[in-house]
Amino acid sequence: MCLHFRKTLLLLAVLAHFGARAGEESFQKIVGPVAIGNVSDRGPIQVPFITWGGDMITFHANGGLTTQPGSNYAGQGLNLKLVPGDDFVQQVRDYMSGKSPLLRGTFSMAGLAAEMIGSDPRTQGVVVLQLTWSAGDHMVARAELKSLRDLKGKTIALRQCGPHIGFLDDVLKTAQLGWDDVKVVLAKDLNGSPDSAGEMLRAGKVDAAFVVSPDMIGLCGGLQSTGSGAEGTVKGAHVLVSTATMSHSIADVYVCRKDFYDTHKDWVTKFVAGYMKSCEQVVALKKQFNGKGPAEYMRVLKLAQDIYGKKTMPTLEEDAHGTLAEVILPGYPGNVSFFTEQSNMHGFDAMMSDALNVAISRGYSQSRTYLLKHDLDYASAAFKRYLSNTEIVRQDRFRAEAVLKEIEDLGSGANLDNRTIVSFTITFDPNQTDFSATQYAKEYQRVVQLADKYSGAVIAVRGHSDPTKTLIELVKAGVSRGVLARAGANGNYSYSFQGKPLSLEQTPAIISLIETGAFDGVSEHNPRENMQAALNLSRKRAENVRDSILDYALKSGLHLDKSQIQPVGVGIREPFIAKPTNMDEAKQNMRVEFRLLRVDAEAVAPSDFDL
Amino acid sequence: MRNRMQRIAITILAACCLHAGAAEPEVYCDNIVVVLDASGSMGAPFIGTNVTKMAAAKSALKQVLLQSPRAAQIGVLVFSAKNVGTDWVYPLAPRDDARLIPAIEAPEAGSSTPLGQYMKIGADALLLQREKQFGYGSYRLLIVTDGQADDVALMQRYTRDILARGICIDVIGVDMLDDHLLAHCVHSYRRANDPATLVHAVREAFAEISDNGDGAVKRDDFELLTELPSEMAAPMIRALCDSGNHPIGERPKPKHRVDVAVQTSSWEAPTVTAPRHKAPVHATREAREWIVVVMFLVVATAVFGILLRKKSQAGVS
Repeated sequence: MCLHFRKTLLLLAVLAHFGARAGEESFQKIVGPVAIGNVSDRGPIQVPFITWGGDMITFHANGGLTTQPGSNYAGQGLNLKLVPGDDFVQQVRDYMSGKSPLLRGTFSMAGLAAEMIGSDPRTQGVVVLQLTWSAGDHMVARAELKSLRDLKGKTIALRQCGPHIGFLDDVLKTAQLGWDDVKVVLAKDLNGSPDSAGEMLRAGKVDAAFVVSPDMIGLCGGLQSTGSGAEGTVKGAHVLVSTATMSHSIADVYVCRKDFYDTHKDWVTKFVAGYMKSCEQVVALKKQFNGKGPAEYMRVLKLAQDIYGKKTMPTLEEDAHGTLAEVILPGYPGNVSFFTEQSNMHGFDAMMSDALNVAISRGYSQSRTYLLKHDLDYASAAFKRYLSNTEIVRQDRFRAEAVLKEIEDLGSGANLDNRTIVSFTITFDPNQTDFSATQYAKEYQRVVQLADKYSGAVIAVRGHSDPTKTLIELVKAGVSRGVLARAGANGNYSYSFQGKPLSLEQTPAIISLIETGAFDGVSEHNPRENMQAALNLSRKRAENVRDSILDYALKSGLHLDKSQIQPVGVGIREPFIAKPTNMDEAKQNMRVEFRLLRVDAEAVAPSDFDL
Repeated sequence: MRNRMQRIAITILAACCLHAGAAEPEVYCDNIVVVLDASGSMGAPFIGTNVTKMAAAKSALKQVLLQSPRAAQIGVLVFSAKNVGTDWVYPLAPRDDARLIPAIEAPEAGSSTPLGQYMKIGADALLLQREKQFGYGSYRLLIVTDGQADDVALMQRYTRDILARGICIDVIGVDMLDDHLLAHCVHSYRRANDPATLVHAVREAFAEISDNGDGAVKRDDFELLTELPSEMAAPMIRALCDSGNHPIGERPKPKHRVDVAVQTSSWEAPTVTAPRHKAPVHATREAREWIVVVMFLVVATAVFGILLRKKSQAGVS
């Protein structure tokens, strides 16, 4: 039984609370009345966990469900009791009643609860730790949906009150669509029942569905695969977008009650630092994993298997390791960036704003009640002396040569389209070399935002040239070589081939002659040299645009990873109008196209922690 | 010719400037392979001088190559030399004067003129380099020869293919009474009947740097294309762009990489190893249809059997 299927079973009871109109109900109504109580700090502090790779770090920090001697949390002097928290509504009840000072969920889920928990100053939420970014949630679509822009007017299924609500919001923003542009169907279950998003897609009831990895594999075979219709897959189904690429969409966090935070700041600091310490240890151990071992890493996996159960996590090497591999760990550096860096476009403020927008627009909240940002001192000895990796170092996300080769090899056509998440273009004038942000600020801002949100994807900047001059040279070369005959004067030319007026039926013969060099070798007219020059020029334009975007980001105080933006020269290969009849039409061919692309794992430069 | 002369006027210095601002010069490299005829006749002096054609060619190449842009890649391929162990006296690579000068000076005139064969070797090296540069840059073959090829048929066949791949061919006929057979089917042909002209010809050939963009179209130019069928333009463009980098004289190999409709995962996310859970087993539509057919046959057979038995019982009774 798959891990997430188990998760579903745990969630079923919760989800039963939600009717078909759950999206229109306030979160407070869903939870029901709860008497607010104080958190007791006698005995172990109750800490919720959910079925997720990030919580495996918590297990390691605690040594088990109760704090074990020798564990990081024991070393911090903490005494915790970890309790299952997949039932988020129940978590909120326990949080309000004082059973636990913490809420464990995604940022968007916490955003749904923000108004309710913020209704009393004691329970107001303080976000104290970001555990992970998700890399294991996916939008699977039917064959006819090739790119995100095809979503308009389509029906999309997702789990009620689940983590995918924020994910969908991000997807719609990428496609420049609003919630009203699509029809959203809320599924009661995560999977395993006809009322789950994946099964709705399988039954042909919806055009796309948000699912977790096991269901994605069941529907289409894999991240880069297309369902064949065999072995339970849906013919033509494929991943339209995934958090494997949109890796700054779903953040998992711990939220702490304000009254507890104020009175137990030292406890919270140690809890957060202990988690970060455990991140460092698990990351170091995971690097040594090569299908098996080392022993200490296997113990981390075994502990998770013991807690989740073998039904949920049947094997250590695949299921337990795979679950841990589906999360991106920010660790200390990522948390510092998330909570404190103003330039972080996927930081606390941006996530908070997005979460509240969704909560209000979908009817979960009536007012814009914010979660609070913690004010823990990251520069204190509690972090700096305790942790090993406290340097905030940004490194290239991608291997430049691998990205260049992969994108150039993709070329054009179906292979490129299959890798494209979204694309848009800008146009320019002949001989234009300046692509300043003054002219293209809107598009550059979009590129910067896409690059940030989709940190697992690459943006290809593809320069295109107009083919008119090359075509003219080709025709002139053909006339010089005697392949074509030209009659008439300027304004009234006519061409003939093999004694007959030039016509479409002669295309194969003409192409064959071009391919065998019959149009070449004319000193005055060399269309291939012209084509080659246009190819070089188009790439240099793409480089100019890339550099302008980097400059725009720098001046705007936004971080942009140069390795994520790859210039490509397309030359005259893909004109909008193959034979322009005037300069206005020719100008339509002079364009730079931005394509957000999925790339192979080989192109990604590994890093310990995500910033 | 005037256009070409204008291009010729662009100096090597201009080429240097072109590359000075390039962000990734290794991608935009200009590539020139010199195919130097070292057949026996190249050992003879120019008419009316005591300078051998071989010595003049070496001198011209040294003068020009040593002024070529550092960013350019140069290859020197020699055929029929009697004293060198390798045809590539200077394999296609960035300019390294310490190696280049001895390489040019080394060959001594030897025997025959297998030009076609060596044009292919030189062009194949350029195509290999074009593959490495992802198609960007420029690619030229400069042939310096004083006689007709021994392998004329091969030379003519390869010449067409080399031109069709977008490689420019420049030929310098050294002290030839008649034009070389290539004179009227390559991009440029220059006669060099004395050492000074030879230097000039080599210099001109090296100065052939592309200056074409997409902004030089005049309004009247569009009229030249009016009668060209619009639907013919796109395949013509593709035919020009997709000449391929497979070896000269060979057919392109089919590309292996196909992402379309793969049935199994060929790619994993950067940090993702999704749990290897088996996909839920669902009866496919085809399977369901087969089940219905089989069930129908079973029921039909049973009904038929019952009817048959009843009939036989009725017959017995």
